Amino acid sequence: MNPELSLQARLPPRRIEITTKSVIMGAVASRDWQPLHHDVVWARSQGNLPDIILNNYTQAGLISCYVTDWSGPAARIGRLRFSMRSPICPGDVLVISGVIQEIEQQAELIWVVIAVALAVGERVATTSTVRVALPVTEDAPSVWQCPTMAWRP
Amino acid sequence: MSELPELVRGWIGKAVVVVCDTVTVEKQSWVTFCAAVHDGNALYWDEAFAQQHTGSTIAPPAMLPGWASAPEWYPGKQGDGIRPMELHFMLKEALDYPNGIVTSVDIEYHEPVRAGDSVRVEQILREVSDERSTRLGPGRNWIIDVVFRRQDGVLLGVQAMAFLGYRSGAVDKEQS
Repeated sequence: MNPELSLQARLPPRRIEITTKSVIMGAVASRDWQPLHHDVVWARSQGNLPDIILNNYTQAGLISCYVTDWSGPAARIGRLRFSMRSPICPGDVLVISGVIQEIEQQAELIWVVIAVALAVGERVATTSTVRVALPVTEDAPSVWQCPTMAWRP
Repeated sequence: MSELPELVRGWIGKAVVVVCDTVTVEKQSWVTFCAAVHDGNALYWDEAFAQQHTGSTIAPPAMLPGWASAPEWYPGKQGDGIRPMELHFMLKEALDYPNGIVTSVDIEYHEPVRAGDSVRVEQILREVSDERSTRLGPGRNWIIDVVFRRQDGVLLGVQAMAFLGYRSGAVDKEQS
């Protein structure tokens, strides 16, 4: 069943404690061996960073998970945009929040655009917009069956 | 301000790096990624549920770029091999920036990736900025467009990645 959709509706926030293990696990699982994601000595001395940092694939995974946990698993993400404004490091307590910005029907799909923020305290570390497709009704075909030519993410 | 080297100017608008058949997608790899971000989406885990929507379990879309990354070591590997976003590293080296970070990502997802697939990637240099002062040190921004296709040519995704290459300076710890 689709969640209730209305403009400016807020998704429930999610709190995540970032650890050295979670930063490294995300980097390794996404096959990203750059030292700024696992080597704190390198990150500080060569990268001019405060610690190892959460890589972009893991941030994409956290944002996607946040949206599809809200929408339900049958939803289909069409487009994901995000800007990393400052690093997310072990010890940070991340709060992910989202607001519905656009709702648009296209045949048997509803496109929903959600503005997502990843904040550490008052600092917004990453901003994102996610365009996700939901079925127009419970009886509508799965959004995953949308013909290739009609899929406009 | 330093001129953009001719080598780099010649890369603009071209698919400078093409990577294919690097990895065969398999479920255990994407399950490890799901575990890292605590993603329990049934499309990635549950064959019976996925059957109704996607025909089989699929890989999390966020992992798409990772399927073009070679193993850290493989028989016969020489030097650094092909690195993830190889064109980014070629730019860092050509422009003499020891450090580089991703500043923004814009990715469209098309057909989902499934176990047994392999991914072909084209990395195209869109633009490179003039050198400027950044909070991490002097550097340049560049954008690389990446097109992902399945082994049979079906479009999987299109991504624009923005980077900052820089030399460390005595600056604060903001990312860019």
